[in-house]
Amino acid sequence: MKTPLQTTLQSTFQITRRGALALGGAMAAASLLSGCESLEQRLTKAALPPQAFPPQGLPAHSPALRLLHRAGYGPRPGDLAHFAAIGAEAWVDAQLAPMALEEDARLTWRLRRLGDILEPDPGLLFDQDDHRVVQALREAALLRAVYSRRQLQARMTEFWGDHFNIYAFKGQGPQLKVVDDAQIRPFALGKFRDLLGASARSAAMLGYLDNTANRKGVPNENYARELMELHTLVVRGGYTQADVREVARCLTGWTAEKRWHRGRFQFDASVHDPGAKQVLGTRLPAGGGVRDGERVLDILAAHPATARHLATKLCRRFRGDESPQWVSRLSGIYQKTGGDIAAMLRPLLLSPDFGNAPPIFKRPLDYVVSALRALDADTDGGAGVQGHLEAMGQALFAWPMPDGFPEGEAAWTGAMVPRWNFALALAGGTTENTTLDLPGIVAAGEKLGLTTPDAILELVFGGVATDPALADVRAQARFYPSPREFAAVALMSPAFGWR
Amino acid sequence: MGLTRRNLITHNLIALGALSVLPGLIGAKGALAGAAFRPRRHGPKGDVLVTIFLRGGVDGLSLLVPHGDDDYYKLRPTLALARPGDRAAKAAERVIDLDGFFGLHPALSALRPLHDAGQMAAVHACGSGDQTRSHFEAMATMERGVASETGAASGWLARHLDTVPWNNPSPLRAVALGSLLPQSLRGTSRATALQTVGDLRLHSPFGADSVRFERTLSTLYGRSTLAEAGQEALSVLDSLRRLPETAGKEKNRPGYPKDELAQGLRQVALLLRSEVGLEAACLDHGGYDTHVAQGTAQGILAGRLAELAGAIAAFAADLGPEQWGKTTVLVMSEFGRRAAENSGLGTDHGRGGAMLVLGGHVSGGKVHGPWPGLAPEALDGPGDLRVTTDYRAVLAEVLTLRLQNPNTGSVFPGLAPAQFPGVVHA
Repeated sequence: MKTPLQTTLQSTFQITRRGALALGGAMAAASLLSGCESLEQRLTKAALPPQAFPPQGLPAHSPALRLLHRAGYGPRPGDLAHFAAIGAEAWVDAQLAPMALEEDARLTWRLRRLGDILEPDPGLLFDQDDHRVVQALREAALLRAVYSRRQLQARMTEFWGDHFNIYAFKGQGPQLKVVDDAQIRPFALGKFRDLLGASARSAAMLGYLDNTANRKGVPNENYARELMELHTLVVRGGYTQADVREVARCLTGWTAEKRWHRGRFQFDASVHDPGAKQVLGTRLPAGGGVRDGERVLDILAAHPATARHLATKLCRRFRGDESPQWVSRLSGIYQKTGGDIAAMLRPLLLSPDFGNAPPIFKRPLDYVVSALRALDADTDGGAGVQGHLEAMGQALFAWPMPDGFPEGEAAWTGAMVPRWNFALALAGGTTENTTLDLPGIVAAGEKLGLTTPDAILELVFGGVATDPALADVRAQARFYPSPREFAAVALMSPAFGWR
Repeated sequence: MGLTRRNLITHNLIALGALSVLPGLIGAKGALAGAAFRPRRHGPKGDVLVTIFLRGGVDGLSLLVPHGDDDYYKLRPTLALARPGDRAAKAAERVIDLDGFFGLHPALSALRPLHDAGQMAAVHACGSGDQTRSHFEAMATMERGVASETGAASGWLARHLDTVPWNNPSPLRAVALGSLLPQSLRGTSRATALQTVGDLRLHSPFGADSVRFERTLSTLYGRSTLAEAGQEALSVLDSLRRLPETAGKEKNRPGYPKDELAQGLRQVALLLRSEVGLEAACLDHGGYDTHVAQGTAQGILAGRLAELAGAIAAFAADLGPEQWGKTTVLVMSEFGRRAAENSGLGTDHGRGGAMLVLGGHVSGGKVHGPWPGLAPEALDGPGDLRVTTDYRAVLAEVLTLRLQNPNTGSVFPGLAPAQFPGVVHA
């Protein structure tokens, strides 16, 4: 709490500090501290940065920076200038039509190298070793997040990956997940019913949630339950145990081919339960065949509880809160447009109050990717970086439960040390196949008249180096004359932990 | 705050007559490096608590087999385990009898010595009021320590730590093995997630050691929005650096199996031996959602249970009788599974499940809780074992009698002050 005494001391401190630097500023500073502190506390404090007394907040994000962090994974050098040149609307509209955006050549080249593993011809995939397949999946996901110009599509693919989570290591998981991934991405910004259909016909999903064992006479309820509980209505959405049973019956026969076309969806009529069913109050007459499952998906996708559920999740992911007005509004858009995800995102991203949305604590993937992007790292997205992600608790495609990686800072703040270790390794150049060009950054900064620390802060924090909230980070520069070390400090700072 | 590393540095500084506080000087070099000091011993007044959460809803009827109940064999023509006296089955595949009615899954044979010594107790047909049969809802309910959906959002273990009548400022007071904090520990500011003790340090690639970065971080996180998380992490780094032994130096300790659970318990034992003030440790063991091909004496479930038993047995042996006498291990799961087997030779989500309580002071050698039976009219909903013991009663009893927390009313608000099931004794 800041008292009048502290205010006076603060201004005295600032004037004296400048002059006292040459004499060992900390000593002079220490002598000015409030008498409330013990000698011991004074002596063991590191040199105080200016503005020590007001609590350190977070740097203000311009609308551009907010969008780049929320709709994308953070700015790369040049992104802010590009954004300024075309404006927010043009930027968002381009992101909502990703196929019209020419992809980054470096990404295309790197993905091509993974092409023999990630070709979505399941037959070829099954010749590959499980771990090599998962590794390739992880590399591709990371490379897309770091390099793709289609940032929002990458973010939404991640979102759907969580929403329709599949644990890659169960059964034939990895190979099937490759197919699943390729099936989901084209619909990432499309209509939810299409996504739901792609997921329900995904051999990976059907295997992961045991629908392949769901047969006439004795249904297996696993997929039916998660379909309603996690993918659409949620528990409070009003389905009953009887509905779970009936949906399971509808989905009997939804399975995957096992032989020539392994990995492809197959409707096996011989195990389909042909009787009449009653799902959420709708009667499905007997003999519906594969149409039973399709009708269930239609019912679920059109249900108001689904609209609400998705609106809430999108709000949480993009706004960082569950604002009732936004949940309501997005729900309404969902229902009017038949579940058009792009139509829901556009007003959310472009609204004037998007800038007031609360800060979101970066999950490990956010943290790693934003660091790689900010410092223009050259990376293969491979084991070097993935190891850090795993230490932070987000080994991609390895979340065992269908609910996807958790949101909210409480789940992630127990793993600060692995983040710091990543920052040190990245800046120090010890991450395998991942390099930074610090001399290049320093030189570019000099051309613009920036000191090395300021150049690094501009890149790391997206051009807000002079924000008062970053004053304490800036102040560390004199203890870390090496650009690499200072870059590590910037990446480790609390301010970089939020987007 | 007591004698801390910072204070010691201060004393040395004064002794050296130097008043500068530039971090570069308070580095690892010189007179200050390796300054030996004794941390004040912190710890709980009562037992150390170790919780092992079996993720997926372990089939209670396979963990604690009601071999004396004929309905069990009717409902599970394929999955039922062989009775203890069944000569047609191999000895190693028969249920291990506990009390003539219940028995242990044969894969839990490593726990038999603990049972025989009276150091393992079981509760059957226990669970929460959650009716959703959803993993996430049921786990959330159980980890929040509530009856069903409504109620506190924080974790029960967090509330316990906040309501005990002693102060334990150790940064390693509550530890979760793994990379995420479980929900049972959410809501307390001092719980740490870690995977191995030895790994938890800053790896500076810049030569010299990482201490100067730690000081910088201490400044940066001092007043930030992540102050608690940051300061906690730094305290932990400091504490772990002071551990007298690291895993590699321990030559003569009993061996542990190589799996993640056993290795996690090994870390817990190491922390306990190092007296850093550990009060509670949470571990997870997954793979219990056996919808398909559950197996019987062999198979998916048997494999998991064997791992569980081997890990706990190794842990008990490693702790030794004195520490084991001050430790309580709780094994729980979000729900049990359907009484009848399904077409995939697995089981679907159910209600009543099983809990195990192990330690030096359990009322062991028996299975607690009224047995509701498996007759059709006794089953709940779509055919699930009825819940006859509220899991919170078991937790409350452990917290009161073993962990010395008199405030369990605050930990489990709304829990009727019913009789304790008698699973542990004071």
